[in-house]
Amino acid sequence: MSWLRLQGHALGEAMRRISAQPVASAFSILVLAIAIALPVLAAVVLQSVGAIASSLETDPHVNVYLALDASGDDAKRVGEALRASPDAYSVQFVPRAKALEQLKATTHLADVIDSLQGNPLPDAYIVRVRAEDSNRIAAAREAWAKLPKVDQVAADFEWARRLGNWIRFGRRLLTAIALALGISVAFIAGHLIRLQALAHREEIEVSQLIGATAADVRRPFLYHGLLQGALAGGLAVGLGAIAAVWLGAELRALTPEYASELKIVSLDLTWSLGVVGLAAGLGLAGAWWAVARELRQFSPSR
Amino acid sequence: MIQFSAVAKRYPGGQEALRGVTCEVASGEMVAVTGHSGAGKSTLLKLAAGIERASTGTVVIQGQNLGALGETALAILRRRIGFVFQDHKLLFDRNAYDNVALPLRVAGFARDEIGRRVRAALDKVGLLAREKAMPVALSGGEQQRLCIARAIVNRPAILIADEPTGNLDAEYARAILELFQSFHRVGVTVILSTHDESVIQRLGCRRIALAAGTLAA
Repeated sequence: MSWLRLQGHALGEAMRRISAQPVASAFSILVLAIAIALPVLAAVVLQSVGAIASSLETDPHVNVYLALDASGDDAKRVGEALRASPDAYSVQFVPRAKALEQLKATTHLADVIDSLQGNPLPDAYIVRVRAEDSNRIAAAREAWAKLPKVDQVAADFEWARRLGNWIRFGRRLLTAIALALGISVAFIAGHLIRLQALAHREEIEVSQLIGATAADVRRPFLYHGLLQGALAGGLAVGLGAIAAVWLGAELRALTPEYASELKIVSLDLTWSLGVVGLAAGLGLAGAWWAVARELRQFSPSR
Repeated sequence: MIQFSAVAKRYPGGQEALRGVTCEVASGEMVAVTGHSGAGKSTLLKLAAGIERASTGTVVIQGQNLGALGETALAILRRRIGFVFQDHKLLFDRNAYDNVALPLRVAGFARDEIGRRVRAALDKVGLLAREKAMPVALSGGEQQRLCIARAIVNRPAILIADEPTGNLDAEYARAILELFQSFHRVGVTVILSTHDESVIQRLGCRRIALAAGTLAA
Protein backbone atom coordinates (compact mmCIF):
# COMPACT_ATOMS: atom_id res chain seq x y z
CA MET A 1 0.00 0.00 0.00
CA SER A 2 2.80 2.34 0.98
CA TRP A 3 4.65 1.45 -2.22
CA LEU A 4 1.62 2.31 -4.32
CA ARG A 5 1.19 5.57 -2.43
CA LEU A 6 4.84 6.52 -3.05
CA GLN A 7 4.31 5.93 -6.79
CA GLY A 8 1.12 7.99 -6.65
CA HIS A 9 2.88 10.84 -4.81
CA ALA A 10 5.72 10.79 -7.35
CA LEU A 11 3.35 10.75 -10.35
CA GLY A 12 1.32 13.61 -8.83
CA GLU A 13 4.50 15.57 -8.16
CA ALA A 14 5.70 15.00 -11.74
CA MET A 15 2.37 16.23 -13.17
CA ARG A 16 2.48 19.22 -10.81
CA ARG A 17 5.96 20.11 -12.06
CA ILE A 18 4.91 19.84 -15.72
CA SER A 19 1.79 21.96 -15.23
CA ALA A 20 3.59 24.47 -12.99
CA GLN A 21 5.60 25.65 -16.02
CA PRO A 22 3.21 25.12 -18.93
CA VAL A 23 5.17 27.11 -21.54
CA ALA A 24 8.57 25.63 -20.68
CA SER A 25 7.08 22.13 -20.55
CA ALA A 26 5.34 22.60 -23.91
CA PHE A 27 8.58 23.74 -25.55
CA SER A 28 10.50 20.82 -24.05
CA ILE A 29 7.93 18.36 -25.35
CA LEU A 30 7.84 20.04 -28.78
CA VAL A 31 11.64 19.88 -29.14
CA LEU A 32 11.61 16.18 -28.28
CA ALA A 33 8.60 15.55 -30.55
CA ILE A 34 10.35 17.09 -33.58
CA ALA A 35 13.45 14.96 -32.97
CA ILE A 36 11.24 11.86 -32.78
CA ALA A 37 9.02 12.89 -35.72
CA LEU A 38 11.93 12.94 -38.23
CA PRO A 39 12.65 9.20 -38.16
CA VAL A 40 8.92 8.50 -37.86
CA LEU A 41 8.29 10.41 -41.08
CA ALA A 42 11.22 8.69 -42.79
CA ALA A 43 9.74 5.35 -41.71
CA VAL A 44 6.37 6.33 -43.20
CA VAL A 45 7.98 7.17 -46.56
CA LEU A 46 10.02 3.96 -46.59
CA GLN A 47 6.97 1.89 -45.68
CA SER A 48 5.06 3.49 -48.55
CA VAL A 49 7.78 2.81 -51.10
CA GLY A 50 8.24 -0.67 -49.64
CA ALA A 51 4.57 -1.41 -50.19
CA ILE A 52 4.93 -0.68 -53.92
CA ALA A 53 8.15 -2.62 -54.24
CA SER A 54 6.72 -5.73 -52.64
CA SER A 55 4.02 -5.82 -55.33
CA LEU A 56 6.65 -5.88 -58.10
CA GLU A 57 8.17 -9.02 -59.62
CA THR A 58 11.72 -9.47 -58.50
CA ASP A 59 12.12 -13.10 -59.62
CA PRO A 60 14.67 -13.29 -62.40
CA HIS A 61 12.60 -13.38 -65.56
CA VAL A 62 12.77 -12.10 -69.08
CA ASN A 63 9.89 -11.06 -71.31
CA VAL A 64 10.29 -12.01 -74.94
CA TYR A 65 7.98 -9.94 -77.20
CA LEU A 66 7.28 -11.19 -80.69
CA ALA A 67 6.79 -9.01 -83.73
CA LEU A 68 3.19 -7.92 -84.35
CA ASP A 69 3.08 -9.82 -87.65
CA ALA A 70 4.26 -13.11 -86.10
CA SER A 71 1.98 -16.03 -86.92
CA GLY A 72 0.93 -18.87 -84.62
CA ASP A 73 3.60 -21.10 -86.18
CA ASP A 74 6.26 -18.43 -85.65
CA ALA A 75 5.25 -18.23 -81.99
CA LYS A 76 5.42 -21.98 -81.63
CA ARG A 77 8.93 -22.08 -83.14
CA VAL A 78 10.16 -19.33 -80.80
CA GLY A 79 8.62 -21.21 -77.84
CA GLU A 80 10.44 -24.41 -78.82
CA ALA A 81 13.73 -22.54 -79.17
CA LEU A 82 13.28 -20.94 -75.74
CA ARG A 83 12.41 -24.26 -74.06
CA ALA A 84 15.48 -25.82 -75.63
CA SER A 85 17.72 -23.11 -74.18
CA PRO A 86 19.72 -24.29 -71.12
CA ASP A 87 19.16 -20.89 -69.42
CA ALA A 88 15.36 -21.10 -69.43
CA TYR A 89 13.82 -22.62 -66.29
CA SER A 90 10.18 -22.30 -67.34
CA VAL A 91 8.49 -20.75 -70.31
CA GLN A 92 4.97 -19.32 -70.24
CA PHE A 93 3.14 -18.15 -73.35
CA VAL A 94 0.97 -15.01 -73.07
CA PRO A 95 -1.20 -14.64 -76.21
CA ARG A 96 -1.82 -11.05 -77.35
CA ALA A 97 -5.58 -11.28 -76.67
CA LYS A 98 -5.02 -12.32 -73.07
CA ALA A 99 -2.46 -9.55 -72.58
CA LEU A 100 -5.05 -7.00 -73.74
CA GLU A 101 -7.63 -8.39 -71.31
CA GLN A 102 -5.18 -8.14 -68.47
CA LEU A 103 -4.32 -4.57 -69.36
CA LYS A 104 -8.01 -3.68 -69.33
CA ALA A 105 -8.57 -5.34 -65.96
CA THR A 106 -5.61 -3.89 -64.09
CA THR A 107 -5.57 -0.29 -65.34
CA HIS A 108 -8.11 2.43 -65.97
CA LEU A 109 -7.40 2.40 -69.67
CA ALA A 110 -10.41 0.29 -70.74
CA ASP A 111 -12.07 3.22 -72.59
CA VAL A 112 -8.86 4.08 -74.42
CA ILE A 113 -8.30 0.44 -75.40
CA ASP A 114 -11.88 0.05 -76.63
CA SER A 115 -11.45 3.06 -78.89
CA LEU A 116 -8.46 1.44 -80.63
CA GLN A 117 -8.84 -0.24 -84.02
CA GLY A 118 -6.98 -3.44 -83.26
CA ASN A 119 -4.90 -5.03 -80.55
CA PRO A 120 -1.62 -3.11 -80.24
CA LEU A 121 -0.02 -5.80 -78.06
CA PRO A 122 2.19 -8.59 -79.39
CA ASP A 123 2.31 -12.22 -78.32
CA ALA A 124 4.87 -12.73 -75.59
CA TYR A 125 6.75 -15.33 -73.60
CA ILE A 126 7.59 -14.97 -69.92
CA VAL A 127 10.81 -16.90 -69.39
CA ARG A 128 11.98 -17.62 -65.83
CA VAL A 129 15.72 -17.92 -66.01
CA ARG A 130 17.88 -20.32 -64.09
CA ALA A 131 20.84 -18.02 -63.62
CA GLU A 132 21.12 -15.22 -61.05
CA ASP A 133 24.30 -13.99 -62.75
CA SER A 134 23.48 -10.89 -64.78
CA ASN A 135 26.19 -11.61 -67.40
CA ARG A 136 24.65 -14.98 -68.27
CA ILE A 137 21.20 -13.43 -68.37
CA ALA A 138 22.49 -10.71 -70.69
CA ALA A 139 24.05 -13.35 -72.97
CA ALA A 140 20.76 -15.31 -73.06
CA ARG A 141 18.83 -12.11 -73.83
CA GLU A 142 21.13 -11.37 -76.74
CA ALA A 143 20.75 -14.90 -78.12
CA TRP A 144 16.94 -14.82 -77.77
CA ALA A 145 16.69 -11.40 -79.42
CA LYS A 146 18.22 -12.97 -82.57
CA LEU A 147 15.48 -15.61 -82.89
CA PRO A 148 13.31 -15.01 -85.97
CA LYS A 149 10.18 -12.85 -85.36
CA VAL A 150 11.35 -11.77 -81.90
CA ASP A 151 10.97 -8.01 -81.60
CA GLN A 152 12.22 -7.22 -78.10
CA VAL A 153 13.64 -8.93 -75.04
CA ALA A 154 13.09 -7.03 -71.77
CA ALA A 155 14.33 -7.77 -68.28
CA ASP A 156 11.99 -5.62 -66.18
CA PHE A 157 12.84 -7.39 -62.98
CA GLU A 158 16.25 -5.74 -62.89
CA TRP A 159 15.03 -2.28 -62.00
CA ALA A 160 12.56 -3.76 -59.50
CA ARG A 161 15.49 -5.51 -57.93
CA ARG A 162 17.49 -2.31 -57.85
CA LEU A 163 14.55 -0.58 -56.15
CA GLY A 164 14.46 -3.40 -53.60
CA ASN A 165 18.16 -2.90 -52.94
CA TRP A 166 17.65 0.83 -52.51
CA ILE A 167 14.81 0.17 -50.06
CA ARG A 168 16.99 -2.20 -48.05
CA PHE A 169 19.70 0.45 -48.04
CA GLY A 170 17.09 3.02 -46.98
CA ARG A 171 15.95 0.81 -44.10
CA ARG A 172 19.51 0.47 -42.89
CA LEU A 173 20.05 4.22 -43.17
CA LEU A 174 16.79 4.81 -41.32
CA THR A 175 17.89 2.46 -38.53
CA ALA A 176 21.15 4.38 -38.17
CA ILE A 177 19.37 7.75 -38.16
CA ALA A 178 16.74 6.50 -35.72
CA LEU A 179 19.48 5.19 -33.43
CA ALA A 180 21.40 8.47 -33.52
CA LEU A 181 18.28 10.56 -32.99
CA GLY A 182 17.11 8.16 -30.26
CA ILE A 183 20.33 8.66 -28.35
CA SER A 184 20.09 12.42 -28.80
CA VAL A 185 16.45 12.32 -27.63
CA ALA A 186 17.56 10.50 -24.46
CA PHE A 187 20.25 13.15 -23.88
CA ILE A 188 17.92 16.08 -24.58
CA ALA A 189 15.31 14.54 -22.26
CA GLY A 190 17.99 13.93 -19.64
CA HIS A 191 19.26 17.48 -19.93
CA LEU A 192 15.75 18.88 -19.50
CA ILE A 193 15.29 16.73 -16.38
CA ARG A 194 18.69 17.85 -15.14
CA LEU A 195 17.52 21.46 -15.31
CA GLN A 196 14.54 20.37 -13.21
CA ALA A 197 16.83 18.64 -10.73
CA LEU A 198 18.93 21.81 -10.43
CA ALA A 199 15.77 23.85 -9.87
CA HIS A 200 14.80 21.43 -7.07
CA ARG A 201 18.29 21.24 -5.60
CA GLU A 202 17.28 22.51 -2.15
CA GLU A 203 14.32 20.18 -2.00
CA ILE A 204 16.53 17.22 -2.90
CA GLU A 205 19.08 18.19 -0.25
CA VAL A 206 16.48 18.70 2.49
CA SER A 207 14.63 15.50 1.55
CA GLN A 208 17.85 13.52 1.81
CA LEU A 209 18.64 15.10 5.18
CA ILE A 210 15.29 14.02 6.58
CA GLY A 211 15.51 10.47 5.30
CA ALA A 212 14.73 10.29 1.58
CA THR A 213 16.61 7.47 -0.14
CA ALA A 214 18.16 7.82 -3.59
CA ALA A 215 15.11 6.02 -4.98
CA ASP A 216 12.77 8.49 -3.25
CA VAL A 217 14.62 11.44 -4.78
CA ARG A 218 14.75 9.83 -8.21
CA ARG A 219 11.11 8.75 -8.38
CA PRO A 220 9.32 12.00 -9.32
CA PHE A 221 12.04 12.83 -11.86
CA LEU A 222 11.65 9.41 -13.48
CA TYR A 223 7.90 9.93 -13.77
CA HIS A 224 8.58 13.39 -15.17
CA GLY A 225 10.92 11.93 -17.80
CA LEU A 226 8.47 9.14 -18.60
CA LEU A 227 5.51 11.52 -19.03
CA GLN A 228 7.57 14.02 -21.02
CA GLY A 229 8.77 11.26 -23.34
CA ALA A 230 5.32 9.72 -23.79
CA LEU A 231 3.73 13.11 -24.55
CA ALA A 232 6.52 13.90 -27.02
CA GLY A 233 6.07 10.47 -28.64
CA GLY A 234 2.32 11.04 -28.99
CA LEU A 235 2.92 14.47 -30.50
CA ALA A 236 5.52 13.02 -32.89
CA VAL A 237 3.04 10.39 -34.13
CA GLY A 238 0.50 13.19 -34.60
CA LEU A 239 3.01 15.32 -36.52
CA GLY A 240 3.98 12.28 -38.61
CA ALA A 241 0.32 11.58 -39.45
CA ILE A 242 -0.33 15.20 -40.44
CA ALA A 243 2.81 15.25 -42.60
CA ALA A 244 1.80 11.93 -44.20
CA VAL A 245 -1.67 13.24 -45.11
CA TRP A 246 -0.19 16.46 -46.46
CA LEU A 247 2.47 14.66 -48.49
CA GLY A 248 -0.10 12.10 -49.64
CA ALA A 249 -2.28 14.85 -51.11
CA GLU A 250 0.72 16.32 -52.98
CA LEU A 251 1.71 12.90 -54.24
CA ARG A 252 -1.78 12.19 -55.61
CA ALA A 253 -1.69 15.50 -57.47
CA LEU A 254 1.75 14.63 -58.92
CA THR A 255 1.22 11.03 -60.01
CA PRO A 256 -0.86 10.07 -63.03
CA GLU A 257 -4.03 8.12 -62.47
CA TYR A 258 -2.71 4.73 -63.59
CA ALA A 259 -0.08 4.76 -60.81
CA SER A 260 -2.80 4.36 -58.22
CA GLU A 261 -0.76 1.99 -56.07
CA LEU A 262 1.60 4.86 -55.18
CA LYS A 263 0.20 6.30 -51.94
CA ILE A 264 1.43 7.23 -48.47
CA VAL A 265 0.89 4.48 -45.92
CA SER A 266 0.06 5.85 -42.48
CA LEU A 267 1.40 4.43 -39.23
CA ASP A 268 -0.90 1.81 -37.77
CA LEU A 269 -1.85 1.56 -34.08
CA THR A 270 0.86 -0.93 -33.13
CA TRP A 271 3.49 1.25 -34.71
CA SER A 272 2.13 4.41 -33.05
CA LEU A 273 2.02 2.77 -29.62
CA GLY A 274 5.54 1.49 -30.25
CA VAL A 275 6.78 5.01 -30.97
CA VAL A 276 5.06 6.39 -27.83
CA GLY A 277 6.45 3.55 -25.72
CA LEU A 278 9.95 3.96 -27.10
CA ALA A 279 9.86 7.73 -26.53
CA ALA A 280 8.65 7.18 -22.95
CA GLY A 281 11.50 4.70 -22.43
CA LEU A 282 14.05 7.18 -23.79
CA GLY A 283 12.62 9.89 -21.49
CA LEU A 284 12.94 7.53 -18.54
CA ALA A 285 16.52 6.59 -19.44
CA GLY A 286 17.48 10.25 -19.83
CA ALA A 287 15.93 11.14 -16.47
CA TRP A 288 17.75 8.28 -14.76
CA TRP A 289 21.06 9.42 -16.21
CA ALA A 290 20.45 13.06 -15.21
CA VAL A 291 19.33 12.39 -11.63
CA ALA A 292 22.12 9.86 -11.02
CA ARG A 293 24.57 12.64 -11.87
CA GLU A 294 22.90 15.07 -9.48
CA LEU A 295 22.61 12.51 -6.66
CA ARG A 296 26.34 11.89 -6.79
CA GLN A 297 26.93 15.60 -6.30
CA PHE A 298 24.96 16.08 -3.11
CA SER A 299 25.00 12.95 -1.07
CA PRO A 300 24.72 14.18 2.53
CA SER A 301 26.69 11.41 4.15
CA ARG A 302 30.01 12.21 2.62
CA MET B 1 20.61 4.70 22.70
CA ILE B 2 23.47 6.59 21.02
CA GLN B 3 27.05 5.44 21.53
CA PHE B 4 30.25 6.99 20.18
CA SER B 5 33.48 5.04 20.50
CA ALA B 6 36.79 6.59 19.50
CA VAL B 7 35.06 8.60 16.81
CA ALA B 8 37.04 10.86 14.50
CA LYS B 9 35.76 12.93 11.60
CA ARG B 10 37.95 14.45 8.96
CA TYR B 11 36.46 16.53 6.18
CA PRO B 12 37.89 16.51 2.68
CA GLY B 13 40.80 18.91 2.69
CA GLY B 14 42.19 17.48 5.91
CA GLN B 15 40.28 19.55 8.44
CA GLU B 16 39.75 17.37 11.52
CA ALA B 17 36.48 18.26 13.24
CA LEU B 18 36.46 15.50 15.88
CA ARG B 19 38.99 13.02 17.20
CA GLY B 20 38.92 10.30 19.82
CA VAL B 21 35.40 11.05 21.01
CA THR B 22 33.83 8.36 23.22
CA CYS B 23 30.51 9.17 24.85
CA GLU B 24 26.98 7.91 25.26
CA VAL B 25 23.46 9.32 25.44
CA ALA B 26 20.91 7.14 27.25
CA SER B 27 17.35 6.60 26.11
CA GLY B 28 15.07 9.38 27.31
CA GLU B 29 17.96 11.55 28.40
CA MET B 30 18.36 15.25 27.70
CA VAL B 31 21.90 16.36 26.90
CA ALA B 32 23.49 19.65 25.95
CA VAL B 33 26.58 19.63 23.73
CA THR B 34 28.64 22.70 24.54
CA GLY B 35 31.78 24.35 23.29
CA HIS B 36 33.00 27.35 21.36
CA SER B 37 32.17 27.66 17.71
CA GLY B 38 34.43 25.32 15.77
CA ALA B 39 34.69 22.89 18.70
CA GLY B 40 32.91 20.18 16.70
CA LYS B 41 29.36 20.48 18.11
CA SER B 42 27.61 20.44 14.74
CA THR B 43 29.73 17.53 13.51
CA LEU B 44 28.90 15.49 16.62
CA LEU B 45 25.17 16.13 16.12
CA LYS B 46 25.31 15.23 12.40
CA LEU B 47 27.10 11.98 13.23
CA ALA B 48 24.49 11.23 15.91
CA ALA B 49 21.71 11.74 13.34
CA GLY B 50 23.26 9.63 10.57
CA ILE B 51 23.63 12.68 8.34
CA GLU B 52 27.38 12.17 8.17
CA ARG B 53 29.58 9.13 8.63
CA ALA B 54 32.53 8.88 11.02
CA SER B 55 35.98 8.67 9.42
CA THR B 56 37.14 6.25 12.11
CA GLY B 57 35.54 4.77 15.22
CA THR B 58 31.95 3.58 15.53
CA VAL B 59 28.63 5.30 16.00
CA VAL B 60 25.77 3.08 17.21
CA ILE B 61 22.20 4.37 17.19
CA GLN B 62 19.45 2.24 18.75
CA GLY B 63 21.69 -0.81 18.43
CA GLN B 64 22.57 -0.20 14.77
CA ASN B 65 26.17 0.37 13.80
CA LEU B 66 26.01 3.18 11.24
CA GLY B 67 29.29 2.13 9.63
CA ALA B 68 27.69 -1.16 8.62
CA LEU B 69 24.61 0.42 7.06
CA GLY B 70 24.28 1.09 3.33
CA GLU B 71 23.09 4.46 1.98
CA THR B 72 19.46 3.38 1.78
CA ALA B 73 19.36 1.85 5.27
CA LEU B 74 21.04 4.97 6.64
CA ALA B 75 18.45 7.19 4.96
CA ILE B 76 15.64 5.15 6.47
CA LEU B 77 17.28 5.37 9.90
CA ARG B 78 17.34 9.18 9.56
CA ARG B 79 13.53 9.12 9.41
CA ARG B 80 13.45 7.98 13.05
CA ILE B 81 15.47 10.99 14.19
CA GLY B 82 14.15 14.56 14.26
CA PHE B 83 16.76 17.17 13.39
CA VAL B 84 16.44 20.92 13.89
CA PHE B 85 19.00 22.54 11.59
CA GLN B 86 20.93 25.61 12.60
CA ASP B 87 20.06 27.24 9.28
CA HIS B 88 16.51 25.76 9.39
CA LYS B 89 16.70 24.28 5.87
CA LEU B 90 13.12 25.26 5.13
CA LEU B 91 11.87 25.19 1.54
CA PHE B 92 10.88 28.72 0.61
CA ASP B 93 8.76 27.75 -2.39
CA ARG B 94 6.08 26.07 -0.28
CA ASN B 95 3.97 27.00 2.71
CA ALA B 96 4.34 26.01 6.36
CA TYR B 97 2.02 23.03 6.02
CA ASP B 98 3.92 21.54 3.06
CA ASN B 99 7.28 22.09 4.76
CA VAL B 100 6.16 20.11 7.78
CA ALA B 101 4.51 17.44 5.60
CA LEU B 102 7.75 16.69 3.70
CA PRO B 103 9.08 13.90 5.99
CA LEU B 104 5.68 12.16 5.91
CA ARG B 105 5.45 12.38 2.12
CA VAL B 106 8.96 10.92 1.86
CA ALA B 107 7.90 8.06 4.13
CA GLY B 108 4.76 7.41 2.05
CA PHE B 109 2.03 8.28 4.57
CA ALA B 110 -1.62 8.54 3.46
CA ARG B 111 -3.03 12.02 2.87
CA ASP B 112 -5.43 11.90 5.87
CA GLU B 113 -2.71 10.75 8.20
CA ILE B 114 -0.40 13.49 6.90
CA GLY B 115 -3.08 16.10 7.58
CA ARG B 116 -3.64 14.91 11.15
CA ARG B 117 0.04 14.70 12.02
CA VAL B 118 1.04 18.00 10.39
CA ARG B 119 -1.70 19.90 12.22
CA ALA B 120 -0.78 18.22 15.51
CA ALA B 121 2.86 19.23 15.03
CA LEU B 122 1.98 22.79 14.01
CA ASP B 123 -0.34 23.03 17.03
CA LYS B 124 2.45 21.81 19.29
CA VAL B 125 4.76 24.67 18.22
CA GLY B 126 1.94 27.25 18.16
CA LEU B 127 1.81 27.74 14.37
CA LEU B 128 -1.52 26.08 13.59
CA ALA B 129 -3.00 29.41 12.46
CA ARG B 130 -0.07 30.00 10.07
CA GLU B 131 -0.21 26.73 8.11
CA LYS B 132 -0.77 28.56 4.82
CA ALA B 133 1.99 31.11 5.44
CA MET B 134 5.13 30.99 3.31
CA PRO B 135 8.40 30.78 5.28
CA VAL B 136 9.47 34.29 4.18
CA ALA B 137 6.40 35.67 5.90
CA LEU B 138 7.45 34.10 9.21
CA SER B 139 9.70 35.72 11.83
CA GLY B 140 13.02 34.13 12.82
CA GLY B 141 11.44 32.54 15.89
CA GLU B 142 8.51 31.25 13.85
CA GLN B 143 10.87 29.74 11.28
CA GLN B 144 12.72 28.02 14.11
CA ARG B 145 9.44 26.60 15.43
CA LEU B 146 8.43 25.49 11.93
CA CYS B 147 11.70 23.60 11.69
CA ILE B 148 10.93 21.97 15.07
CA ALA B 149 7.45 21.01 13.84
CA ARG B 150 9.03 19.29 10.81
CA ALA B 151 11.48 17.48 13.11
CA ILE B 152 8.75 16.08 15.39
CA VAL B 153 6.06 15.33 12.80
CA ASN B 154 7.37 11.76 12.38
CA ARG B 155 7.15 11.29 16.19
CA PRO B 156 10.85 10.44 16.52
CA ALA B 157 12.35 8.82 19.59
CA ILE B 158 15.40 11.08 19.21
CA LEU B 159 15.28 14.84 18.70
CA ILE B 160 18.48 16.67 17.87
CA ALA B 161 18.77 20.46 17.63
CA ASP B 162 21.80 22.43 16.45
CA GLU B 163 21.98 25.81 18.28
CA PRO B 164 18.19 26.12 18.47
CA THR B 165 18.36 29.38 20.43
CA GLY B 166 21.26 30.83 18.45
CA ASN B 167 19.76 33.91 16.86
CA LEU B 168 16.73 34.37 19.07
CA ASP B 169 16.12 37.01 21.71
CA ALA B 170 15.69 35.86 25.33
CA GLU B 171 11.90 35.69 25.22
CA TYR B 172 11.79 33.47 22.10
CA ALA B 173 14.71 31.37 23.36
CA ARG B 174 12.90 30.55 26.60
CA ALA B 175 9.78 29.43 24.72
CA ILE B 176 11.85 27.18 22.44
CA LEU B 177 13.69 25.60 25.38
CA GLU B 178 10.37 24.95 27.15
CA LEU B 179 9.23 23.19 24.01
CA PHE B 180 12.27 20.87 24.09
CA GLN B 181 11.71 20.22 27.79
CA SER B 182 8.12 19.22 27.07
CA PHE B 183 9.34 16.65 24.50
CA HIS B 184 11.88 15.37 27.03
CA ARG B 185 9.11 14.96 29.63
CA VAL B 186 7.16 12.61 27.35
CA GLY B 187 10.20 10.36 26.90
CA VAL B 188 11.95 11.71 23.80
CA THR B 189 15.75 11.63 23.85
CA VAL B 190 16.82 15.25 23.30
CA ILE B 191 20.29 16.40 22.28
CA LEU B 192 20.92 20.07 21.64
CA SER B 193 24.02 22.12 21.11
CA THR B 194 24.66 25.58 22.47
CA HIS B 195 27.49 27.94 23.30
CA ASP B 196 25.29 29.82 25.76
CA GLU B 197 25.89 29.10 29.49
CA SER B 198 22.47 30.47 30.48
CA VAL B 199 20.77 27.86 28.30
CA ILE B 200 22.55 25.01 30.09
CA GLN B 201 21.74 26.48 33.47
CA ARG B 202 18.11 26.84 32.54
CA LEU B 203 17.87 23.27 31.27
CA GLY B 204 19.82 21.84 34.20
CA CYS B 205 20.80 18.77 32.15
CA ARG B 206 24.00 16.79 31.60
CA ARG B 207 26.50 18.33 29.26
CA ILE B 208 28.99 16.97 26.77
CA ALA B 209 31.69 19.60 26.54
CA LEU B 210 33.83 19.80 23.40
CA ALA B 211 37.02 21.75 22.88
CA ALA B 212 38.89 21.72 19.58
CA GLY B 213 37.31 18.42 18.50
CA THR B 214 37.92 16.42 21.66
CA LEU B 215 35.96 15.89 24.86
CA ALA B 216 36.81 18.53 27.48
CA ALA B 217 37.07 17.47 31.10
